[in-house]
Amino acid sequence: METIRLVNLCKYYEMGQEEIRALDDINLSIQQNEYVAFMGSSGSGKSTMLNILGCLDRPTSGQYFLNSKDVSSMNADELAEIRNREIGFIFQSFNLLPKLSALANVMQPLIYSGVTLEQRKLRAEQALNQVGLADRLDHVPNQLSGGQRQRVAVARALVTKPSILLADEPTGNLDSRTTAEIMSLFDELHAEGHSIIIVTHEQDIAEHCQRVIRLEDGQIAADDSRQEAA
Amino acid sequence: MFILLESARSAYQSIRAHGFRSILTTISITIGVAAVIALVSIMQGVSVYIEDQLSGLGANGILIQSFTSQSDRLQGRRNKLTVTDYELIARQVDGISSITPILVGTGVNQVQYQGETMAAQVLGSTFNYQNVSLDYINEGRFISDSDNQTRRRVAVIGEDVRLNLSMPDNPVGEFIQIGSEWLRIIGLMEIKGQIFGQSQDNNVIIPFNTMQSIVGNQVEPDVVIQLSVTDINLLDATIDRITFLLRNAHNLIPGDENDFLIQTSEQIAETINSILSVITIALGGVISISLLVGGIGIMNIMLVSVTERTREIGICKAIGAKRQQILLQFLFEAVFQCLLGGVIGLVIGYGLGAVVSVYIGIVEAIVPVWVALLAVSFSALIGIIFGMMPASKAAALDPIEALRFE
Repeated sequence: METIRLVNLCKYYEMGQEEIRALDDINLSIQQNEYVAFMGSSGSGKSTMLNILGCLDRPTSGQYFLNSKDVSSMNADELAEIRNREIGFIFQSFNLLPKLSALANVMQPLIYSGVTLEQRKLRAEQALNQVGLADRLDHVPNQLSGGQRQRVAVARALVTKPSILLADEPTGNLDSRTTAEIMSLFDELHAEGHSIIIVTHEQDIAEHCQRVIRLEDGQIAADDSRQEAA
Repeated sequence: MFILLESARSAYQSIRAHGFRSILTTISITIGVAAVIALVSIMQGVSVYIEDQLSGLGANGILIQSFTSQSDRLQGRRNKLTVTDYELIARQVDGISSITPILVGTGVNQVQYQGETMAAQVLGSTFNYQNVSLDYINEGRFISDSDNQTRRRVAVIGEDVRLNLSMPDNPVGEFIQIGSEWLRIIGLMEIKGQIFGQSQDNNVIIPFNTMQSIVGNQVEPDVVIQLSVTDINLLDATIDRITFLLRNAHNLIPGDENDFLIQTSEQIAETINSILSVITIALGGVISISLLVGGIGIMNIMLVSVTERTREIGICKAIGAKRQQILLQFLFEAVFQCLLGGVIGLVIGYGLGAVVSVYIGIVEAIVPVWVALLAVSFSALIGIIFGMMPASKAAALDPIEALRFE
């Protein structure tokens, strides 16, 4: 089943007099349970791609279908709901709420989807258990190591049972040992049936994925599928 | 409902996380509300107290005094009520249950006893005084009609006079000196307490005729006439009748101003209460400004807080928070802080009101429930008004920009 379909998708920015074509006429289809890496140098358009795929931003023209729904024409609140239900974000700098415990951080998105307190607690505990942090529920982010923080972030992304996990340089702030840990976590999640999209500039990370899409100057330069990976 | 509850929970957590700052922010509201409550409780206390005190005149009571207008006064004229006026009213007005003339001894106020001297309010009156002023005897007896007729040198004193002159507990039979006259004490009045820190117990009451002879008979004295009517419904009719009689007796032609003033306890209370409400309104204005300043303080802190938490807001938006949810959270934060300030202010205001009431000598400090509710809801309103701008700013943040914010 097709999870993501981009049709003639463009994103332009005005920079003074100049028009920057961050994404230029992209056509793309991503199936359910795919494990995709977007690669490219800075300025290639991969951050813009991530923002649009994550429904944080809207395209200038073209269409974006997420589970066959056209999200490119939705308003801010509708997009917020899509982000809440369909997308699990994982950021390079973790982006946990600093004053909240690991458990509360994972519970947070469920507040926005209207889940009761008891259910939130239960589901957040399960998610933290899944990423191997069952014993760190009450720690606040600065009591956790980088790898642990990213696991909390993964748990937060998983807890709403989204259609895709979107990871932006998920290991950019981690050392090589924790990078390996987090990547094997992603591999497991993929094996469990999750669709995962990783934006990275590191070849090692992209190696884990089945499909590597290279962006250059806002266009798809290469789209390689390698069935043997992952 | 769910959104409200969750926003309230988040707001509460955030206020707790910034405990000290939250308290500082609420202080201005606290002070404003405390001032309102203290003001109201003191003013209410004063007003209740005045009504209590004026009930000394009684609801059926009428007080008649001479009145000299400003222009007459400048021409050196001084209007008077005379004993003749008193007799006229006593004789020709129906429905009077008690009436007495009162002569205040101007220049006669030094009271001596065994070498001690004090200034007291010396009044000349009759037996009826205790009925019209509802002022009764504690020890001994009051002035009798025969005391008056025979100009006996006797006096009834108030508790403060007894204390100041170091008299025995029961001063009956002791002698005091007023001017050059020696008077025997025949009674001690009940304690009445203070009004505005002014003792009501430093009276010396002597027979009216005795007073007249002490003041001297050369000058016609200016008397005050106090009376009570048998039926409160006759009050207005009685006032009209007295006005008619006195105008006739004083040869006033139509168009002339009354040269006397007739007051009832109700009128006196109204006058004092109207002064009190002017004071209350003026102070209330000042306090509203302090609440306004408090509101601006809240807005300021909230704006700082929104900027400081831009990234957090971005995260919340990325994981699915809608504008309304962010808006409500920040609005609740402002409202909670104001409410907290309001409630603390309420408690402090009650305390302050009670302390001041005791200090100025009024017993009861009463704050009506509606004032307390109004003060607290007003502070919540301030939270909504001044929280709205920062909260909308937070809600309107672009998630991508907010996430990029360092």
